Amino acid sequence: MIQTSNILFDSLNSGLMAVLDYLAQHVVTCLIPAFFIAGAIAALVKKDAILKYFGPQVRKFKSYSVASVSGTILAVCSCTILPLFAGIYKKGSGIGPATTFLFAGPAINVLAIIYTAQVLGMDLGIARAFFAIAMSILIGLIMAYLFGKEQAANQPPFKTMPTFEEEVERPRWVIPVFFVLLVGILIFGASQLDWATKLAIVYLLTMAVAVLLIYYFKKEEVTEWGIETWDLTKKIFPILVIGTFFVGVFAFFVPPETFRPFLGDNGLGANLLASILGAVLYMPTLLEVPIIGTTFGYTTGVMASGPALALLLSGPTTSLPSIVVLTRIMGWKKTLTYWGLSVTMATLAGLSYGYVIG
Amino acid sequence: MKIEIMGTGCAKCKKLFQQATEAVKEMGIEAELIKVEDLQAMMDLGVMITPALYINGEAVSAGRVPGKEEIKRMLTEAGKQ
Repeated sequence: MIQTSNILFDSLNSGLMAVLDYLAQHVVTCLIPAFFIAGAIAALVKKDAILKYFGPQVRKFKSYSVASVSGTILAVCSCTILPLFAGIYKKGSGIGPATTFLFAGPAINVLAIIYTAQVLGMDLGIARAFFAIAMSILIGLIMAYLFGKEQAANQPPFKTMPTFEEEVERPRWVIPVFFVLLVGILIFGASQLDWATKLAIVYLLTMAVAVLLIYYFKKEEVTEWGIETWDLTKKIFPILVIGTFFVGVFAFFVPPETFRPFLGDNGLGANLLASILGAVLYMPTLLEVPIIGTTFGYTTGVMASGPALALLLSGPTTSLPSIVVLTRIMGWKKTLTYWGLSVTMATLAGLSYGYVIG
Repeated sequence: MKIEIMGTGCAKCKKLFQQATEAVKEMGIEAELIKVEDLQAMMDLGVMITPALYINGEAVSAGRVPGKEEIKRMLTEAGKQ
């Protein structure tokens, strides 16, 4: 009797601890500003300028570089990744930039990078962003090399899809300054300064944002910002809380130590395994952080840096369900090649990162 | 009037459909409201960024959820043509 209820209590407690670790500490200082930043990108950054770069006539250098970083701006809502990929592939610059976008977009998701840097460490956050961009371009180039020619023949006429956003008259410095202020709130909020100083700085920065909003933004824009931010929160936060709780419960029954022989070093095997896990598992947005931190034990020193990075790279772009959809878009040969390439590149990234970091 | 909302089924697409439905009802106009979730259909039309709103086969908005008032304005514009 006592034994069973102890196990039940302890496992639930483990779940609760995980939620406290991953969320309670970080909600105010990191997640709230991060969601506002993501909401601002979704609501206020004009997408037309970027979509222009996905046309078939755009010079390769530009379309690949834009494809690799545009995920931050275009794919705040992950639901638009597959339609965008299909659009670039079928009607735009072709399979190269399309697969570059497919790999990088989900990996350099603003929320995910911020949360990764905050919880798992700045080094891993930066590495995630850097390798997502670098590897995505490599993958795109290889895919274009392998399949580019057959694509060119099937190219239907390109119709640019504008977003029909209303033009707003505003000095050009407003939006950049606005984002600098938001990022400032995030950085100072999450920093190690004493809380009185932090509060004062964050307060001043918030006031500055308010001034900008009053004088340079239309009421509808501010409302749209609020709506986007709230929509994102509704979509991501509940699953994050519940998922993290279950990560904690799971860790009680299967402690991270279990995975040390498989993921605890920076060798080829560990990196490859982590890449494959990422390529197959479906991990809801942001949940990859507690999974890497607790389930596989990165924060307790069980999982090594290389495999952690590999998982962060291959995780977001594909999962078994999304592979099915990709097959319907570009056929199984290209899909399997892409899948194989993402696993390979994630493994290579993990190996190099693990080697450098040690 | 044919109104199509393109989206793979996420919250934004649902909200766009809901707002379009309400706009049509409030304006009291005759309109066919269709929700397109099939990726192939969207690809054929050249939809790149979802959610997208089409009125009578023409794209009027993409990548965002226009407010109800804006949707009503678009419907009025389309009605005039």
